[in-house]
Amino acid sequence: MLPMPGPGAVARARPRASRDRWWGLAAVAPALLIAGLVVVGGIGMSVAQSVGLVPLVGEAAFTLDAYLANGDELLTGLGLSLAIATASTVLSCVIGLTAAIIITQGRSTGRLVAALSALTIPVPHLVGAASVGLLIADSGLIPRVLGIAPTAWPDLVGGPWWVAVVLEYTWKESAFVALVVAGVLATRVARYDETAALLGASRARRLWHVVIPLAKPAVIVSAVIIFVYTLGSYEVAWLLGRPYPEPLPVLAFRLFNSITLTSRPEAAAVAVVTTLVSLIAVAIGMALLRRTPLWK
Amino acid sequence: MSASLSLDALTKVFDDASRPAVDAVSFSVAPGECLAILGPSGSGKSTVLRSIAGLDVPSAGRILVDGADVAGLAPERRGMAMVFQRPLLFPHLSVLDNVAFAATVAGQPKREARADATQFLELVQLAGFGPRPVTALSGGQEQRVALARALAARPRVLLLDEPFSALDPELRSDMHELLAAIRAQVAPTVVMVTHDRDEAAIVADRVALLKGGRLLQHDTVERLYTRPVSLDVARLMGGRIEVPGTVRDGIHVSAIGEVPAADGETWAEGAGVLVVRHEAIQVVAARASAPEGFVAVDVVVAERTPRGPRAELALAVTDQAADAPAGSVDSPRLTAEVPASRPLAIGERATALIPRSACTVVAG
Amino acid sequence: MAMMIPYGQRITPDTRETRSRGLMRPRPLGRVVRVVLASLLALWFALPLVPLLVWSVANRWSFPAVLPTEWGLDGLMTALEQGAAPAFGRSIVLALAVAAIATPLGALAARALTLGRVPAPRLVSGILLAPLALPAFVAVMGLTIVLLRARVPAALAVLLLLVAAALPYTVYTMRVAYAAHDLAFEEEARTLGASRWHVLWRVHLPLVAPGLARAAFLAFLVGWSDYVVTVLVGGGTLVTLPLLVGSYAAGVGNDAIVAVLSLSAIIPPLLLLLALGRFGRRYPAARFAGPTPSRSPKGSP
Repeated sequence: MLPMPGPGAVARARPRASRDRWWGLAAVAPALLIAGLVVVGGIGMSVAQSVGLVPLVGEAAFTLDAYLANGDELLTGLGLSLAIATASTVLSCVIGLTAAIIITQGRSTGRLVAALSALTIPVPHLVGAASVGLLIADSGLIPRVLGIAPTAWPDLVGGPWWVAVVLEYTWKESAFVALVVAGVLATRVARYDETAALLGASRARRLWHVVIPLAKPAVIVSAVIIFVYTLGSYEVAWLLGRPYPEPLPVLAFRLFNSITLTSRPEAAAVAVVTTLVSLIAVAIGMALLRRTPLWK
Repeated sequence: MSASLSLDALTKVFDDASRPAVDAVSFSVAPGECLAILGPSGSGKSTVLRSIAGLDVPSAGRILVDGADVAGLAPERRGMAMVFQRPLLFPHLSVLDNVAFAATVAGQPKREARADATQFLELVQLAGFGPRPVTALSGGQEQRVALARALAARPRVLLLDEPFSALDPELRSDMHELLAAIRAQVAPTVVMVTHDRDEAAIVADRVALLKGGRLLQHDTVERLYTRPVSLDVARLMGGRIEVPGTVRDGIHVSAIGEVPAADGETWAEGAGVLVVRHEAIQVVAARASAPEGFVAVDVVVAERTPRGPRAELALAVTDQAADAPAGSVDSPRLTAEVPASRPLAIGERATALIPRSACTVVAG
Repeated sequence: MAMMIPYGQRITPDTRETRSRGLMRPRPLGRVVRVVLASLLALWFALPLVPLLVWSVANRWSFPAVLPTEWGLDGLMTALEQGAAPAFGRSIVLALAVAAIATPLGALAARALTLGRVPAPRLVSGILLAPLALPAFVAVMGLTIVLLRARVPAALAVLLLLVAAALPYTVYTMRVAYAAHDLAFEEEARTLGASRWHVLWRVHLPLVAPGLARAAFLAFLVGWSDYVVTVLVGGGTLVTLPLLVGSYAAGVGNDAIVAVLSLSAIIPPLLLLLALGRFGRRYPAARFAGPTPSRSPKGSP
């Protein structure tokens, strides 16, 4: 900390510094080992299995068969997963940002929205899927209340447009966005809002020129997290989706649990494709984040 | 054009408070004038400023800008701009875009807004800093940008809420010079809140002194020091000498003798405390006689406190008749400052010369 | 200086408000928009939980009826018969174990990173956050074969994978907590004669306790909500509450049981969340401490 330590200070500081270094390493090591093992090991072994290097029985031999075996299903699944993830991410961010702005305004309306969005945070996705099913299936609460016969009710659950799946993701994740963004806005927005008002900015202008730019980095980060999550999530699509076509995780699950010997590498191939898409999404998110002036 | 501002019995009571934070404060500021609202913590000075800005809604009273009541006007419509203690530069905008903010939100084309902002950056001597991110600025630079941003909004009244108190002394005096230069060039009406009376003295034309939410005195800096209207004002302005006594026929009579009011001054008859700035008191050799316009008091040096290049002396007044021992409890004390080189030691006798024009009498 | 700034021509015309007092007050309109938006959002967040509440006390609810045709606790009884209680217990133990491991590990790593005592800090934080960017099923499918061959018990393997999934949350939460944590408090305690141990227990941990509680809550949620890891690694041997919900929700006609199981999966974390809210408010000073001395009415609304 001293700008110019004397020679004695350096001699004394050195063992201290290296001890700190060791302490630092020891402190991160357990967490780093676990996360590293799971991430690096998970991706590495998936890749190895998908190219035939870790067969359940028999000789290891490099082959891309696993990627080609279900080529069509892989492509349809990829398209479907991307569509579901994109729709859920965009809707969650729009709804979540709106909720965050209402929350930061305070007052009773803000507190109500804050409390209800916080209520959905501890709900597991699987439970969310079950409740959405009970709400909007053709025998669900909404058609009952509206008095619409099951035949006249659109196929929201298990239908061609995956509406129930996207709704469930959006429901849970918009609460997540609201919480994250409201947290960021709460700490900084009040004073900046005052300053902007005194510089002549109206409410709408303050929203556009101050609040939304301040929220942007948090929205980008949440969007990436949501996209990656919805892309790789199994249970909601499995419960509320239709049997065919299958999103990537559902496809991978079916192959993984299938009894054919070749299916394990094929499941691993689907996993590798999903990982690649996730990593691309993270890279795009990072690039967007770097371009926001708030990124340090 | 810079506007005039007046406050008419401005009162603010916060919801959970028993007494008002601001209690019937009235004053007015002429166009182009700089008023400092001076007061200790909790005196309500920031509340006055926030009420003027429209950030706090007053409980009673009026705020007039150019004679028009601004009650019910949202802050963004009042034509004020405020600089806070923290610069609060928008972190998502560059330095230039921060300064251009007011023009941008008013719907000016970006190019024009930026060209305009460039002038204001030059005004605060930060030409060329425009493209930088605000994180790349030092504390003093940040506050300059905040000032430029406020000025670029063409405020009818510029509000400054302790804008320089987070800066170190050297930077602060730079900022004082800058503010003087800005006032010379664009003559904004300025209302500045500060707790530092030296700052108020340097920056402001007039000072409104607040204590406990009440306006004690609204006057020029000079008169606030030399003609305080109450003991509270004299103490808040750092006055050290209080001599209780009685005024009879315009002459204050006390332990230091008789002090007639200066020409043109009238003192209320009856009990009153004579106050005088210790800076005005001269210390000369013992038993010297008073020149014209001065009152001579025989004293003994009771304490001597070094103050760098100067020394502060506590002078015990000696009663000539009784020749009371130095430092007797009852005898009033005077305070004076002398150059540190003067060899006035404790116990030494001397004469204090009090200029009559510097004296004033306030109620006890 | 001869520079002339057209001073005083305010860019925002000030005449507007005097001319049109109606436009001057956008507040009533703003309030309507705000109330409508807030109501829609409230409905959006609350509505999906309504059928759960109703179904959990419905014995029978045939289609067109808006309210159950027969109220009762059959759903609860069936759920209990089907092993809901032990599954609930297993979920609690699993979630607590994940929280108990991931929280201290995350806190340690976060503190070392905040103090700048870690080599290649960007890489390290990248790896610690990476489980967020990796779909859980990928990690599971990749590692199952390794864990199986290493004869790691299924429950332990599930725990390991869930701890990894929880680490990004605990590390991040604790980094935020430590960023706001002023080391000067600890240094002050040391100069007052407190030992390292005392500083840890009396100063450091109490100051970051709200952060620790948040981190532990998030880690608990990861363990509590998991379906994929338990189902894939456990292979059906480790039956937790979500697995039970999944198997009943996948069938037809189990709506009451699903509702009861779902509610029992929401209540424990919800209680924790409420407790967390109360706990977080215990240390307001630590969060808002700043260099400016407090001036009484300034912060008042």
